[in-house]
Amino acid sequence: MIPLAHVGHYLWILYVLPVLLVIGGIVRTMLLERRRRSKEGGDGP
Amino acid sequence: MTVLPFAHALVAREDLPVPAWLFAWGASIVLIVSFFALSAGWRRPRFEEDRWRPLGAGVSRALLGWPLQALCGLVGVLLLGVAVYAGLRGTEAPDRNFALTFIFVTVWLGFPLLSVLLGDVFRPFNPWRALGRTAGALFRTVAGQPAARLAYPQRLGRWPAAIGLMAFVWLEIVYGSSGGVVVGVDPHAAGVAALVYSVYTLAMMALFGVEEWCERGEFLSVYFGMFSQLGSFAVKGGRLGVRRPLAAASHWATVPGSTAVVIASIATTSFDGAGEGAFKGGIEWLFERFIDAGLGLTFALRLTDTIFMALCFAGVGLVYLLGVRGMRTIHGAPSLATLRSGFAHALIPIAFAYLVAHYFSQVVFLEQAQFTYLLSDPLGTASTDLFGTASSGIDFKVISATTIWYVQVGALVVGHVVGLVLAHDRALVYWRDYRDATRSQYWMLAVMVAFTCFGLYLLSVANA
Repeated sequence: MIPLAHVGHYLWILYVLPVLLVIGGIVRTMLLERRRRSKEGGDGP
Repeated sequence: MTVLPFAHALVAREDLPVPAWLFAWGASIVLIVSFFALSAGWRRPRFEEDRWRPLGAGVSRALLGWPLQALCGLVGVLLLGVAVYAGLRGTEAPDRNFALTFIFVTVWLGFPLLSVLLGDVFRPFNPWRALGRTAGALFRTVAGQPAARLAYPQRLGRWPAAIGLMAFVWLEIVYGSSGGVVVGVDPHAAGVAALVYSVYTLAMMALFGVEEWCERGEFLSVYFGMFSQLGSFAVKGGRLGVRRPLAAASHWATVPGSTAVVIASIATTSFDGAGEGAFKGGIEWLFERFIDAGLGLTFALRLTDTIFMALCFAGVGLVYLLGVRGMRTIHGAPSLATLRSGFAHALIPIAFAYLVAHYFSQVVFLEQAQFTYLLSDPLGTASTDLFGTASSGIDFKVISATTIWYVQVGALVVGHVVGLVLAHDRALVYWRDYRDATRSQYWMLAVMVAFTCFGLYLLSVANA
């Protein structure tokens, strides 16, 4: 049985999710940029 | 007669069209959209110069001339005297005594708003500055020379103000009502604290000079002065003038300890909101451990709340430092110390937003008491009716709980967007290439989203 009466204790997760999504987006963007830069550097003389 | 509990969560929110947590998602989306809009359309710094220009000489003469300044100082000293007297001699009922509402609501919450709108208005009303200047003038007249003073240690910066700010809020929240149980801040304690602080402040002014101490150590001056940096009005060279809004804030945090002041402001407000809601379970758990360890009830309550308040300071500071540390990874970044002080001013609008969000309802309701029965009967002993309003009450229907919620959400969103703007503008100074500047601000975006969601979470739990 799901303890629905206690679901309120976990509402904070819904407030943390946007922060995690933004941090995930930032990390992904930075990794992609780093990969692109190292590729551009490798193509050079 | 309305009897008002001296508490913070004054009203429960009515039904909202969507769950409260969706507001956090909406606010996050607003911040992300604002971030990309800034990246696309804001490519050179605009806040490095405040573009101050003087108003008419007549306006400056009227507002800054000695008659009005002396009158304001006199009013400040008189009100401090009334607060101390009411605290020491008035009723012990906190809601009926002038001292508590005047110190912790009218002054503490009123001046930040006035400072943003009108500039540093606390300065002329500052009772300790007025007393210090008067004492200095008397000394000059009698001795024929200005009083000798010590050089203020520059490394101390605004740290005394940061500590004073934490101590003030500690007195109100921790000493007063640890863990939701009232154990102390009665009007008498507030009156004694105001007296002790007056002696301390006047002593520091005698040591380091009135203006120097107001600039660095007197926490109310520093705190209200910080918020005045967001506004348009400022005095320079004895002239009143207008400047570009927000621009003055960009150079405020260069003094050591300024970052601590703004972090302390956010942390203390957060703790006040969380103590009765989000942190309640943790506070109760730790409190029980202390009781099990044999500590007394009151001491255990205060110790628990003190620890959680310190944790709030550490937590807010850590989130900010993580954002700054993230910027350091961008090519061409200045030193960590430069970044740490260079972006602290972006937290000022957030500190203001937190204040509005957490205390808006308190101000709306308690200021009705302040300007009616508390002013007419400052001692709360039904012995005076100075303005014929001693029997008035508070109209709790003057504003609905749902309206309060929208004001809270609006304040948090606007405050964080303004914080993003200030941070983006500063990044354009440190990174000449706007693309690098934008990359550096990814982490500040995360900081802003974190503070927004945290603030809304605190409100949603406190209002539930």
